[in-house]
Amino acid sequence: MRKRKRTGWHRVINGVNISTLVVVVFIAAPLYWLIASSFKTPAAMGASPPQFFPSPVSGANYSQAFKQYDFGVYFRNSLIVSLVATALVLIFATMAGYALGRLPMRGKFTLMVSLLIISLFPAIAVIAPLYVLLKNVGWLNSYQGLIIPYTAFNLPFAIWIMRNYMLGIPKEMEETGRIDGAGPLRTIWSIVLPMALPGVFTAGIFCFTACWTEFLMALTFNSVNNYKTIPVGIATFGTALQVPYGTIFAASVVAVVPIGILVFIFRRFVISGLTSGAVKG
Amino acid sequence: MTTISTPVEEAPTGAGLVGRPDVNRKRMARLGWAFSAPALIIIGAVTIFPIVYSVAMSLSHVNVTGNGISLNGFTWANYSLVLQNSTWHYALGFTIIYTLVTVLVELALGTMIALVLERLAAGRGWMMALLLLPWSMITVINAQLWSYIYQGTYGVATYLFGVQNILGTSKPAIVALMIADIWKTTPFVAIIVLAGLVMLPGDIYEAAEVDGSSDWSTFWRITVPLLRPTLALAVLFRVLQAFGLFDLPFVMTNGGPGTSTTSLAILGYNAMFKNLSFGPGAAVAVTTALLVLLGCLISLRTFKVQVGKEGN
Repeated sequence: MRKRKRTGWHRVINGVNISTLVVVVFIAAPLYWLIASSFKTPAAMGASPPQFFPSPVSGANYSQAFKQYDFGVYFRNSLIVSLVATALVLIFATMAGYALGRLPMRGKFTLMVSLLIISLFPAIAVIAPLYVLLKNVGWLNSYQGLIIPYTAFNLPFAIWIMRNYMLGIPKEMEETGRIDGAGPLRTIWSIVLPMALPGVFTAGIFCFTACWTEFLMALTFNSVNNYKTIPVGIATFGTALQVPYGTIFAASVVAVVPIGILVFIFRRFVISGLTSGAVKG
Repeated sequence: MTTISTPVEEAPTGAGLVGRPDVNRKRMARLGWAFSAPALIIIGAVTIFPIVYSVAMSLSHVNVTGNGISLNGFTWANYSLVLQNSTWHYALGFTIIYTLVTVLVELALGTMIALVLERLAAGRGWMMALLLLPWSMITVINAQLWSYIYQGTYGVATYLFGVQNILGTSKPAIVALMIADIWKTTPFVAIIVLAGLVMLPGDIYEAAEVDGSSDWSTFWRITVPLLRPTLALAVLFRVLQAFGLFDLPFVMTNGGPGTSTTSLAILGYNAMFKNLSFGPGAAVAVTTALLVLLGCLISLRTFKVQVGKEGN
């Protein structure tokens, strides 16, 4: 890191702090509005001028999201789909990343570049054929109907991440394992994987976030209430005439908190993933 | 590092192993394919097959049948229909302008934020955590939140800025969408740029200071050229994402008022899943995918050239 000594040091520090404050307000104000509004009563939601602090503070929106609307179901669906897809991605990406990073395969270069190009394709380009495919096998409105596409779409990035981490592990380590008579799967499991753990975290948090936030496929494939995920549920709360913002925001806060905590805990890995050069934001 | 690294062919790994190297090497290669197979099969089935099928659909007479669709013969009709359609023209223009404006604004703001945070003495970790919040937020939630902020009669933006019916009027609606997008993704750009800034070598800056270079010229002549790969990366991600714009307008405006916020993805989706015109819809989807690839190439190129010029 570079250090710059300059005259007017105090002024600069003040300028930096003020700008930082502006940034904090810019980011936090809408988040505050989301949280504050989720505690407002329906009457206060539509108040003009708006209530900048909810009074009275009401938990009604939260109970409504889970009782009157099926937010609990959406939450469960999102959790199942995201967790299973992430687990599958991590297993397959670790194996493929190991192979591409460490085993002598022909055509590795072509394969890696193809993966990169595939990950550039927008979801809209594949949505109709996938819909027809899932319809034919009867997997519309099912968990596997989302888990499998999510796994496929998150694999290329995860493979890249895992491969990059695998490249950094010293070869002697696994050779020791092999000479000791451990099979390849055992070598991966007990020697390579522990060393590639940062890669697993990075790929895992990205995959989970992507599944948790995905909208287009979830909207198209799982339209029945029992299989809707959180984004679809939140987008379709209410009717065209009446949008129950209070309920939507209560549900949103509940949806944002787990991923926020996860991202906070794993922020080091998120940042390393963002800067490693193979992510779509 | 912050560059898109191309994979380098590895030196043979089997060399140091016990036993006969060639046999071992072949065995290891086979093992490699076996390990890659599950991933490659899933990717092939769920991404490559649909991409090929989309292209086929866009070049066929498509009939909707009871349990899906059938392709009946080759035709250019879908493409000629799309290319002559005024809504497609509008959606194309809207998507391109939307992408250009949001990416440029986010890049400028994100770089400014990164420059500020780089000079922050304490609490940078907390700022990074805060920056990650909008990034990790479900876009649909972002859309609902801003819809409420812009709500025509009691929205806080309506109250603070006195603009009535923001999302119901064409131009304000477009700007409103852009602001919601900029709020969500500027922090993402800032993180990437900040990570790039932190890795820049310090001695160049000392040299520049000794030479009496002003902050402004140091920024344009040293920081920006050195940051070029990082900036190009941020632009690439953002172009990819912005060009596929779907979630925000779907929730906030449903492509309206009229067609004023209809992006290419919204148009393709509506054609396929609302009007069941799968042929033209596929043509929209395929052209969008091609434009995304093209857009990535162009933005990488022009960006490099431009920044290169600034640096000279």
